[in-house]
Amino acid sequence: MHSLHWTSRMISRALRSSFSTLLESATGAAASKGGEGALKSASPRPHFVSVVCGFAKDNLRHKYKPGKYGEDSWFKASTEQADVMGVADGVGGWRSYGIDPGEFSSFLMRTCERLVQCSHFNPQRPVNLLAYSYCELMEQKKPILGSSTACVLILNRETKTVHTANIGDSGFMVVRQGEVVHKSEEQQHYFNTPFQLSLPPPGHGPNVLSDSPESADTMSFPVEDGDVILIATDGVFDNVPEDLMLDVLRDVEGERDPVKLQMTANSLALMARTLSLNSEFLSPFALSARRNNIQARGGKPDDITVVLATVAM
Amino acid sequence: MSLLALAQASASTSTSSSSDTELDAQIDFSTMLMQRQRELSGWFGCGSKMQPDQVEDQGYYLEQFVLGVLDFSSQYGIEYSISYTAANVIGRPSKFPNYGDYPETFTMRTYGDWWQLAPSATREIQPQNLPKLATHDYIVVYFEDYVVPTEVAIFETFNPGAVIRIWAYGLTKHWTCLWEALDTDLTAPTPRNSRRFAPTLKKTTMITKTIRIDFNHSRLNYYTEIDAIMLCGRTVSGRLIQSILGEQARATKSLSPLSKMASGQMAGSITCKLQSLEFKPNFREKSDTSLHEFISNDLGKFMMDNRLEDPLASVSAPAAEAVPPGMCVTDLPFEIILKILSYLDLKSLFRVGRVSRTFYDISTHPLLYAELNLKPYWLVASSELLCTLARRATMLRKLDLSWCGGSNEISPTEFKKFLTQRGDNLTHLRLNSCKFLNASCIENVGIVCDNLIELSLRNCATDPPLLNFSCLANLKNLERLDLFQTAFDTELLLSMLEGNRKLKHLNLAFCGVSVNMDDVADHLATYNTQLVSLDLWKAHFLSARGLLAISRCSQLEELDLGWCLREASLGDGLFQLLSNCPKLRKLFLSAVRGTTERDLIHIATLGKNLEQLDLMGILNITHERIYDILVHCPKLQLLDLSFCENIMEREFDVLAEWSRQFKVDIKSSRIFDTR
Repeated sequence: MHSLHWTSRMISRALRSSFSTLLESATGAAASKGGEGALKSASPRPHFVSVVCGFAKDNLRHKYKPGKYGEDSWFKASTEQADVMGVADGVGGWRSYGIDPGEFSSFLMRTCERLVQCSHFNPQRPVNLLAYSYCELMEQKKPILGSSTACVLILNRETKTVHTANIGDSGFMVVRQGEVVHKSEEQQHYFNTPFQLSLPPPGHGPNVLSDSPESADTMSFPVEDGDVILIATDGVFDNVPEDLMLDVLRDVEGERDPVKLQMTANSLALMARTLSLNSEFLSPFALSARRNNIQARGGKPDDITVVLATVAM
Repeated sequence: MSLLALAQASASTSTSSSSDTELDAQIDFSTMLMQRQRELSGWFGCGSKMQPDQVEDQGYYLEQFVLGVLDFSSQYGIEYSISYTAANVIGRPSKFPNYGDYPETFTMRTYGDWWQLAPSATREIQPQNLPKLATHDYIVVYFEDYVVPTEVAIFETFNPGAVIRIWAYGLTKHWTCLWEALDTDLTAPTPRNSRRFAPTLKKTTMITKTIRIDFNHSRLNYYTEIDAIMLCGRTVSGRLIQSILGEQARATKSLSPLSKMASGQMAGSITCKLQSLEFKPNFREKSDTSLHEFISNDLGKFMMDNRLEDPLASVSAPAAEAVPPGMCVTDLPFEIILKILSYLDLKSLFRVGRVSRTFYDISTHPLLYAELNLKPYWLVASSELLCTLARRATMLRKLDLSWCGGSNEISPTEFKKFLTQRGDNLTHLRLNSCKFLNASCIENVGIVCDNLIELSLRNCATDPPLLNFSCLANLKNLERLDLFQTAFDTELLLSMLEGNRKLKHLNLAFCGVSVNMDDVADHLATYNTQLVSLDLWKAHFLSARGLLAISRCSQLEELDLGWCLREASLGDGLFQLLSNCPKLRKLFLSAVRGTTERDLIHIATLGKNLEQLDLMGILNITHERIYDILVHCPKLQLLDLSFCENIMEREFDVLAEWSRQFKVDIKSSRIFDTR
């Protein structure tokens, strides 16, 4: 009973959080559809219909704030030329040094959002976006320390291609006609230690793992109408097996109604949440741990962020 | 509104002497107005009732935010950043109505008068030219649509109260001052709260989409931050704009700078008056040149014919009582009159020259033009003015052309000619934010002005860097070199440092990421040991080795290392610096996050002469260390502890108490997290 009550409270909170994003994506989609209707009646501009959902790992510590789920953070932005989405996962180990891990990832994503609107934004180089955002961190009066992974995706409307940059173990997946056509690779130094952008406290520099934005994995590929793109942090990829994800995602191919898309994102996030708290289930995380000679079982409790989008042209 | 009333209303706004307009009631108003409409094209403004043949839509009320930034004099952040830089003024306000020190706003480099109290402070050239409220900084922004401005709103989110003037650039290519702060405006205390500042603008009919805001920081407690600027007004039809622009293009040579400067808005009144009187010079075509000729040649006879008062006669009248009759100002010895006139600002000097032949001779004496400051006249400074000044300023020693030439009024050729003619004895040259400078101008500076003691080239950053500094290596006597926000080649700077052994003040703030500061520091330690002040704000590539090198300049009194050495630890550098430079009065370590507690102890023990200390954003500060510093540095006046995250909230009251006790201004701003 208690757990049911707990789950329903979490669902309602998640739905409330996702509701706000639903509204923005609905108005965003409506506006862009209206805009494209005015511009060209023949072929509408390619754009994303995107929604977000997620759960913080520990709801007691993190009260809900828009734009982040616990230590994870996400952003969405769009300009004339491009639609941009991204997630970042703050590395939790900083908490023991008295540094809030969510601050770094949140700042990274908020700055990416602002930088998209700048004149020097290049819609074909998401690595530049990450690099500029990382540099902005050093220009803040308020010292921001910590580290995080990041994954940024840009849809270039003119060329109908998607450019991505990924550092660490967050990632994306593209589904077309029931098949996974593109997927990002996890970047890890060793097990459970992903590549990460970091700003260590001064003096600890050499002791801290810090990868530069240039070490990001980049991919560029064309997209077609109806493609489903999922960007998520490792809370999703480590808990939900790929075939289960594929089942969920192939249902929304070509879906343009943001409400239905939101429902799918919610269920995916909930799935990840449930599986992460399950101590018996052999999650992808447990499987890869075993491959590394660690006896693990069950899901991995972690922050979950799901950014789900379909390409509409 | 009847034709007559409209005409009288417009006539009275443009003439200064109201008594004469009553006499003019006999004039044919309608033809006069038609003529004025042709001459003063800015009059068109709102849908004119004088032209019933044109169907004018009245336009609609439009509020718009900034589309782009054309120019600014200084900003806190570095060029491509979006934190604390001028680019944040663009678009809607992002933080208003929150109050706090946010990076999403536009912040300028200085606040208060702390920079005037520092060892690197400069004295203004020809200070009598400056208005009472001198402009310290400015920003020029443009909007999307042309409007007739009715309101300019500035959203200030931190320490409001720095705005002193608002200018608008009209279609007629002239700047008009829409609002100017009075002394009473500034003495009124501004609340410590964000505000939407929208002063009452002068009533105008000009059409504009470019606004310039002037700032004065002297009364600010800390940095002021602007979130957005909004321009409200009535739109005008595109056809009207095209017709005005077309007329501009067809107009002959623009109004000469002399009459522009001296008469300002009075050009209209002179033509009005001249029309009413018998002497009617033919000025229908080429009005500008013939007016000029008239004033220089025929004005004397004209005034005699019409028995108009000589304004100086009234001055001499009371003197006539004290002095035997027949004595007037011009009977005083030449040198005395010269001394009197030397207190005049440049505009008044030109005006005095039009009084009579004698005054013209005295006022054009080269000794009055030994120091020239055209910064307050940035809106009218043009090539013709330079030409005129070149004729007079044969003994030119100090020249300040800062901020001039923003709208292509000064040509580089004219500047080079001026410099070649008059530049060889120049000792002080300031060319801050001069948009007309190109590579050959700088080359000219290097070749001609080899007696330069001070060279200031602030804000000459262009991308790609246009400026060729190689000829500047010819300068060997420099004591002050200011390259704030200017891109330069490291090799050339190094050769200049080698050549100028007497260098005392060097400003390399915002020099960008391409300069290896350690090499520069090594050169300074080797060749420029007399260095008194050094500004390395945001020099990314300075390391502890560079700091050790700088510490060998033992005459240092001012050192600004803000935002340098970010990741690196300082090592022994700060200790060496404080031991070797006992005269250090100003030390800025903003965001030098590698400062340790030991460094703070050193500051307390060795910084006996410190007056200004900036420790913003340093993590390891505890209030015991602050107390140490306050006790052991008796001359301390400014201590900036903003964003020192280690200081607990409850300790801020203690800081306020210490601030009173030790008579030190302690700054402690932080972002007020409203969530």
